[in-house]
This record gives sequence, C-alpha cells and structure tokens, in this order.
Amino acid sequence: MALENPSPLGLLAPVPGSARRRAVNRAVEIACTLAAVLAVAVLLLVVISVFIKGAPAISWKFLTSNPQTSTLNFGVNSGGIANSIVGSAILIGLASAMAVPVGILVAIYTSEFAGPRSSSGIRFALDVLNGVPTIVTGVFVYGVLVVGAHQSGWAGAIALAIVELPIVARSSQEVLVLVPRTLHEAGLALGLKRWRVVVSIVLPTALGGLITGAVLGVARVAGETAPLIFTSSIFSNLGLTTNPAQAMPNIPVTLFSLSESASPQDHAQAWASALVLIAFVLILSILARAFHARSMAKLSH
Amino acid sequence: MEPVRSLSEPEARSHTPADPAPMTEPSSEPPAGPGFDIGATATARPDHLVGGARQAPAVDITGLRAFYGRSEALHGIDLHIAANEVTALIGPSGSGKSTVVRCINRMHEEIPNARAEGTITLDGVNVYDSATDITAVRRVIGMVFQKPNPFPTMSIFDNVAAGLRLSGQRGPAVKDKVHAALRSVGLWEEVKDRLNAPGVGLSGGQQQRLCIARTIAIEPQVILMDEPCSALDPIATLKIEELIAELRDQYTIVIVTHNMQQAARVADSTVFLMDGAVVEHSPTTELFTRPRDERTERYVTGKFG
Repeated sequence: MALENPSPLGLLAPVPGSARRRAVNRAVEIACTLAAVLAVAVLLLVVISVFIKGAPAISWKFLTSNPQTSTLNFGVNSGGIANSIVGSAILIGLASAMAVPVGILVAIYTSEFAGPRSSSGIRFALDVLNGVPTIVTGVFVYGVLVVGAHQSGWAGAIALAIVELPIVARSSQEVLVLVPRTLHEAGLALGLKRWRVVVSIVLPTALGGLITGAVLGVARVAGETAPLIFTSSIFSNLGLTTNPAQAMPNIPVTLFSLSESASPQDHAQAWASALVLIAFVLILSILARAFHARSMAKLSH
Repeated sequence: MEPVRSLSEPEARSHTPADPAPMTEPSSEPPAGPGFDIGATATARPDHLVGGARQAPAVDITGLRAFYGRSEALHGIDLHIAANEVTALIGPSGSGKSTVVRCINRMHEEIPNARAEGTITLDGVNVYDSATDITAVRRVIGMVFQKPNPFPTMSIFDNVAAGLRLSGQRGPAVKDKVHAALRSVGLWEEVKDRLNAPGVGLSGGQQQRLCIARTIAIEPQVILMDEPCSALDPIATLKIEELIAELRDQYTIVIVTHNMQQAARVADSTVFLMDGAVVEHSPTTELFTRPRDERTERYVTGKFG
C-alpha cells in the first residue's frame, strides 16, 4: 500500500476522492451564500425602490394635513394622509392593548401553570391561528361585528388583535422557556407563592424578550390590510377622527385606494404612504433587536 | 429554646395563589406555632451547642417513596436527621440523594409528574400533612442549590431581601435581617460598599454565599444543600465548608455531596445511599473508617461509583 502511494506527504497525503469532496463542499457553500445575499437583496430592493418612488411626495404637508379632494381636481388627493397616520396609530394601539397582555398571559399560563399536554395543545392552536389567512380573520370579524352594525375602529382593532395575539404569545413562550428553571426553584424554595415567583422573578428576567415579541407583533400588524378592508375601510368623512366607534382611516387601506386611482399624483402619494409604513416597521424592528440583545445578555447570566 | 414555626399557619396565610394578600400582611408573624414545641420531642442537645446557639428541629423520614412519572426513585427511605447536626448524603449518581433532600422541603413535587409518599416530620409535625402550607414548609426548611442562582435582575441587597419582601415584609426589619444574613455568611466585608450592585456580578463562590444568605435571611430552621460546592473552586469550597460548620449552631443541615472528602470534613453523620435505598447511616468517622456494609466499604474506598 505504501508502495502504491509514493506521495512525499506520506500519511498526510490527501485521501482518494478528496478533490470531489472539496468541490461539493465549495458548491454548497456558494449556494448558501447566494441564498443569503438574495434575501438581503430583496429587502434592500424593496426599501430602496419605495424610498426612491415615495420620497418625492413626502412633505410636511403630506404628513400633517388631511386629504383634500374636490370635483374640480377629479377627486385626486391634494392634501396629505394625517388622518390615516392617526387612525393607524389608534388602531394599532388598541389592537396591541388587547393582544399584548392576553398574549403574555397565555404564554405565562403555558410555561408556568399548564401541564405538558395542554401546553403543547395551546402552542399548536396558536400556530394554527398564526397561519389563518388574515383575510379570513377580516371576514370573521366582519360577520360578527360589522354585519348588522357598521364598520368601526373597534372592529378593525379586534381583527388586528386576532392577528397579533399568536405572534406575541408564541414569542413570549419562547422567551419564558429560556428563563432558567433554577430561578423558579430558588423562588419557590424561599417559600414564595407561584404567582409571586412569576411576577417578581420570572417576568423581570424575561422582560427584554417579552418587549421584543410585543414590538415584532406591532410591526407585523402595522401593515396588515386584509383585516381592515372589511372592518375599517369605508370612511364617512376624510377628516381626522379619533373615535373608534367610527370607521377609521388607516395607512394600509389608504395606500390601497390611492394606488387604485387613475391619477399619477395619487400614485406618488401611495408610494409616499408606503414609505411612511415601511419606515415605521423598520424602526420597530430595530427597537426589537435592541431589546432582544439586552435580554439575551441578562438571560445568559 | 425557640419553638418551630408553625407549618400550618391558619388564617393569616390561607389565601389562594391569586390573592395579593401577602403584600399587606403584617411585617412580622408570631414565631410561636400553635400546639407543639420542640422541647417535647427533641433529643439531647449536641455538645457543640453553646453560647448563642439555637435549638433547631430534627427531621424524621419514614417510608419515603418518590416517583418520577412511573419510575420509582426512592424505595421506602427511613432516616433520622439529628437536630443541629450536619448530615451528609453520599452515593453514586442516580442513587436518589438529591431526591431525598428535595422531598424534605417538598420541592420534588414541583417537577411535572413527580410525587412522593411517606412521612417527613419536623419534631413531630408532618411536612406532608394535607393541612400544612407548602410555602410555610419551605420557609422553615431552606434550600441551597447546586449552581449559584442569584436572581439576575436584582441587586446584592435585593437578592437577600427577596424572600422577605416578596412574602410581604416591609420596613427597617428587612434591612437588619439582610445585613445580618450577609454577615453570617461572611460576605458583609466584601459587599458592604456595593449592596446595590447586581448579584450576578459576584464571583461564583460569593454568589453561592449570597444564595445561602438569601436562604437564611428568612430564618429557616433546617437548611438543605444540594451539592452546594460542585460548581466552585477549592478555595470557595473551603469557605462554604467553614460556613457550614458555623451554621450548625443555628440550623439542622442536610448536605448532598459527590465529594467524600467534603462529607468527611463537614458532616457529623453520613448516609450512604444506593439505588434509592439507604445502605448505611453512621457517624461520619465510623462510616469512613469502619463501614458496616460491604457496599459502603467498596464505595468509600473508591472501588465503584
């Protein structure tokens, strides 16, 4: 054998077939790299194209004045989207006020109080709820709350909350699972009640991660359109409204109707609305990341 | 002699878990438990109890069986743990040492599907009686864990105060108890200038002493230690061992250890467990020098385990 392989490297010589293995290795590496580059490129393309097309129409007036349309300019919006920005903020705020506390409570229930079987059942249910197409959620809320009544900010907020709930609950579960068992035990061994351990020891330890989940949930519903089309899309007036009992103008629906218009001016405004929306989501994502980093530092102790 | 605190604390502690009542409870509870006094059943005072020593209760375990789901980890343990002594539990991995101590303060049942049968009495009062309040059991029987586990969001001071404050105690008494606890674990000089610094910023050995301080701040009578030095270096280990020797004056101590030298150094009596049963329980020197059981001899001489 040694005679058949007179390599000067002896035992350190490459084994047969290593050239092919090296080639496969290289190919897999390149494929993975390309996929990663592609994902980042898609994000950049979306952000950059929205920025290029939306930035020209962004102005102080666009952000701070209500839509102005008249028959003189064929219904084209010569004002801004202030009413939609305020409406979206209220809808998201109401939805999060419902979904975040309930989501975190669900997560606490599954990780602290429920048995293994019911907790995995709830986890599965949340995943299914997360997978329900949001237009179905919209139709459901439409059928329950809008039919026989009228569209309203409440109906829209509830539809958004249903979308947000599983996101918040699942991400909170993931974080609570990371809180070391030994901290629970330390608390219980001090003779503390279980709820006291959860409130004073587990939740503060997981706080950063819980905020991350909540912020990601908010970012996700900020752009949800389908649930709002059925519940908060027919605006009786185009003025600023802060009353959730009425249908509330909001950025996604406004973006949609502006883009449906025939006027290039409206199209420019649609892009500008998209830019406002995407900027909001980006800022929230960055915030979520910051909280996440803080939380991981705390949990790794 | 100070009576054991009641395990069944009636009205004042009978709230449901959702009840925020502990927040408003009076800051000090009467230490006298109704109905029993350890003087009635206590054995003779150990020789080392002098001066500021305090009589702690003895622990008696009878017919203890413990289960994890369907598998039985302890097959009927009978054990007398003498008051104001250090009792070491030794034995190979999986012999049930940790399970025994976790049954004494009812931490065992916190594991999903785990349960225990039998009786464990503290000077005659059954820890497993249906009328006992589990949180009272754990206040009387403190526990120190294998890995130091200070609460990561809390300062040094708050860590030690946690057991007091989170069960509703307020006021200057808390501060005094925290300072006293830090002094008695020998941590005071090291941390007195940074009581507000995070507890997790201390070294491993300091963290473990912090956890012991947290345990004794709530004034338990029995302290369980589940391999308290296994994550520490030899010098930190030595400090903990010295501390255990001092704590013996005030508490009944049960320590689980993998380290036979440690058992020999700190324990008055040593229990050798195997496969969920007690093989031998003797005074420490006797167990290591003249073991009665052949299995004990083979284990302590390093022939297996």
